[in-house]
Amino acid sequence: MRRLITTAAVATAAALALTSCGTTEPAADAAAPKKQDKAITLTDASGTEVKLDGPAEKVVGTEWHEVELLVSLGVDPVGVADVKGYKTWDQAVPLKNEPKDIGTRGEPSMDTVAALAPDLIVASTDLPPAAVKQLREIAPVIEVRSANASDPLGQMTKNLDLIAEATGTTERAGEIKKDFDNALKEGAKALADAGLDGAAFAFADGYAISRQVSLRPYTSGSLIGAVNERLGLRNAWTVDGDKDYGLGTTDVEGLTELPADVRFAYIGNDGDKSSTPFTGALAKDKVWTSLPFVKKDHVHRLPDGIWMFGGPVSMERYVDALVGELTK
Amino acid sequence: MAVTAPPSVARPTAAASPTGTAAVTAGLVLLVAALAVVDITQGTADVGAGEVWKALTGRAGAGDTSVVVASRLPRAAAGLLVGAVLGMAGTALQAVSRNVLASPDTLAVNAGSYLALGLAAVTGVSLPLIASSGIAFAGGLVAAAVVLGLSGLGAGTVRLVLAGTALALGLTAVTEGLLLLFPQETQGLYQWNQGGIGQSGFDGVLQMAPLAMAGLAGLLLVARRLDALALGDDAARGLGVPVRATRVTAVVLASLLSATAVTLAGPIGFVGLCAPALVRALARRAHGLTRTRGRLPAAGLTGAALVLGSDVLLRTLVPSDVAVAVPTGVVTSLVGAVFLVVMAARLKDTAEAAPPDRLRIRGRAVFLTTTAVLAVLLVGVTVAAVLLGDSKLLLGDVVNWAQGRAGRGVSFVLDTRTPRVLAALLAGAALALSGTLVQAVTRNPLAEPGVLGVSGGAALGAVLLVTTVPMAGSWGMAGAALAGAAVSSALVFGLAARGGFGQNRLVLVGIGVATASTALIGLLIVLTDPFNATKALIWLSGSTYGRTPPDLVPLAAVLVVGLAVAVSRRTELDLVSLDDDTPRLLGLGLARGRFGFLVLAVLLSATAVAAAGTIGFVGLVAPHAARALVGRRHVRVVPAAVLLGAVLVCTADLLGRTVIAPAQLGAGLMTAAVGTPYFLYLLVRGRRQGR
Repeated sequence: MRRLITTAAVATAAALALTSCGTTEPAADAAAPKKQDKAITLTDASGTEVKLDGPAEKVVGTEWHEVELLVSLGVDPVGVADVKGYKTWDQAVPLKNEPKDIGTRGEPSMDTVAALAPDLIVASTDLPPAAVKQLREIAPVIEVRSANASDPLGQMTKNLDLIAEATGTTERAGEIKKDFDNALKEGAKALADAGLDGAAFAFADGYAISRQVSLRPYTSGSLIGAVNERLGLRNAWTVDGDKDYGLGTTDVEGLTELPADVRFAYIGNDGDKSSTPFTGALAKDKVWTSLPFVKKDHVHRLPDGIWMFGGPVSMERYVDALVGELTK
Repeated sequence: MAVTAPPSVARPTAAASPTGTAAVTAGLVLLVAALAVVDITQGTADVGAGEVWKALTGRAGAGDTSVVVASRLPRAAAGLLVGAVLGMAGTALQAVSRNVLASPDTLAVNAGSYLALGLAAVTGVSLPLIASSGIAFAGGLVAAAVVLGLSGLGAGTVRLVLAGTALALGLTAVTEGLLLLFPQETQGLYQWNQGGIGQSGFDGVLQMAPLAMAGLAGLLLVARRLDALALGDDAARGLGVPVRATRVTAVVLASLLSATAVTLAGPIGFVGLCAPALVRALARRAHGLTRTRGRLPAAGLTGAALVLGSDVLLRTLVPSDVAVAVPTGVVTSLVGAVFLVVMAARLKDTAEAAPPDRLRIRGRAVFLTTTAVLAVLLVGVTVAAVLLGDSKLLLGDVVNWAQGRAGRGVSFVLDTRTPRVLAALLAGAALALSGTLVQAVTRNPLAEPGVLGVSGGAALGAVLLVTTVPMAGSWGMAGAALAGAAVSSALVFGLAARGGFGQNRLVLVGIGVATASTALIGLLIVLTDPFNATKALIWLSGSTYGRTPPDLVPLAAVLVVGLAVAVSRRTELDLVSLDDDTPRLLGLGLARGRFGFLVLAVLLSATAVAAAGTIGFVGLVAPHAARALVGRRHVRVVPAAVLLGAVLVCTADLLGRTVIAPAQLGAGLMTAAVGTPYFLYLLVRGRRQGR
């Protein structure tokens, strides 16, 4: 043991000698003067006033909702948390560049973000306050509340406008909002024409881990729940959702609480085996197979890659897919 | 610290009253049946007692019937099976090891099974249930073999539990690391990782039941030999019992039983420890239960009652749509923990204080070289931690930064990285010092802020504050952690103080409080912020993420005070750690000194938790290692332990930040993963020296 520790110490000393001196970047000289003519001041979701020298171009996004908004506004982020996950779950708004992976959405790596030297960081209010404080040392940060169950659509629009303002893409944001409104109107009309106005509808996703299935009902407070209501559908879930995402928790039994005439839709992902219990673990579950809406084949799988917590573009894709399925 | 079975076990009396045993068994059967019936009427579907009755008598609609048949009955059956096998496995392991602390949890059997399943899951091959139970069996068996092999069959029982808990911590850390490395399913896995008995149909239960029956039958066959083992190895040999073969058989069977439970429901904690303990209490009434053959079924029934009871309790107390989000394992842990604390407080603790580790006396030169070498290591690790990360730096960058001349990129990186490195260093040092103090005061080699529930209480306090006041500052956090730690340590030390810190009682109460606080933290996060798994992980696994310099001030202040006190009162520490009598003979106020050191230890671990979450293991490993390296005198142990603790956590944090960069693993996980092999090595080495 002692020999081991000594060896380690000698090796350490050697390594120290070898790494001494040398820098990875030259020492800073006097900072170059920045242009102040197009300065932007805005207030983010945490109430903090953020000052930008001008419309941000090198932007980092820590949560997929914000990344999607950036991409749909035409701003290609230089850093994105969990790039692989984004590519799996948000194919509605694919990344157009190859951004640097900054780590997980919950704990983005400060080192990596700092090394990117962004001029704006779009963070989620879900990040720990201490982490946001550190990010503010790196670059201006706008905190965005990714979801708000008391007004999901309003929050989404607010987020879009905030990010558009920071990146100088307000015009594009206007187009996106108009397209989304049109999609909602057309979708509602198509559903009404098919006699589905006011129909009972339930959207969920689920996970099956080691034969145990848990389902997440999307209540009226969820983004998708709000879109459904704008389409004239009636949310059939009776469970309560959380205060941000409007998601509840239930198991297979809980589905028996849904009315018999309900239409049921879900989004899974073939890239994530645990996320599609409806075709896997439940296929043999007697509770599931004896549900009236399962028997009537009123279960709809919507295409993979429509991000349930995304922005207007994901929701537009969702409306198209759902209306297509229900009026088939 | 010979944790022996009560003497009544050693002498199975001829005067056993069959009526008492029958009555107790009948009572248990009734209890389990009643709990199962209540359990069947509870769930998210609107299927209550009336509907269940109709469904069972074939008069209900197809929907209600399917709920009862495909969801309720399987869940109750799974609860029954899982509880029963865990109870029996615990009984067998306790008999084999003559140790009331032995259980599938404390001998790492469950952790081994869980890791094996995690490894299998990572390969992405979906296996049939029976194959996964085979994998779980292999994992549990290997873990049990390692623990029993390292500790020496029948050798010191302290060593057994030390090796077991250490390996369990390490294995669980590796498993959790795997979950983080392959994060697609973290939400579900996090829940499963607590254990849940919900089932989709009867398949699982039906496939596992034969394995459980086989395990039970096997154990009943060797039951007589297990009774003989209780007399001691030599006596058993004298009776013609093949000691080694009996041990191996019983451990294999117990591993098989726990593997079926883990396969079916994930790691449901504590049942294997509690059920046998409860049966021991019942055995005072019914002497038939003092024999393994009577005890096994009784422990099975008690285990089943514990699991079903927890499930019923959960669904009675919280609305059904919330209850499904809470894993049953959380509740068994809570129920089990409360129960364990109560039991331990009433336990007649006959175990004597452990003889001090017999260690070679080290010379002054050895101490000086060891300390010097450790100091060089500390500097090296610190420098490496500052230079390495997602972006590699060179020393010149650091020099520029220190002089305020660094470029933008380097400044950013170092501004965020140095507080983390400091947090790891300080937390490691503080936990090591805290562990040293606690081990000295309690003279208990198992004592450690984590094991004793002090860290858990601190984390619970901090989490309570974070969930109620999201913008809490660093002093607020330290205060909340301290309040939590104070409550938990008052509970633990208060209950254990009766009759002088009884060795077993202290650790039992501590484990109980630690488990309860972990379960409560899990519960709190599921109930308040269900979709923020990261928050849970920071508090449960220790993380230096997002630390800023002000967060470290309370910790640094307490550490300075702690070191000053420890160094100035070093002689008193030496005396306190020796035995009860010497300090008294010398006229020292033992109680007051002990209390002071304990308060200091609590302060240290609470501030460490506020700064870096619950990092287990350091408090256990560092003092042990320090004593092995420099001898027993605290003037030498304290600096060595503090240096070791800082090196250990800093290394762990460095690895956690770089191995899967830019994603990161909690320092707590890495500490356990790094600390376990070393700790096991220490155990082996101690054994080779012929302790």
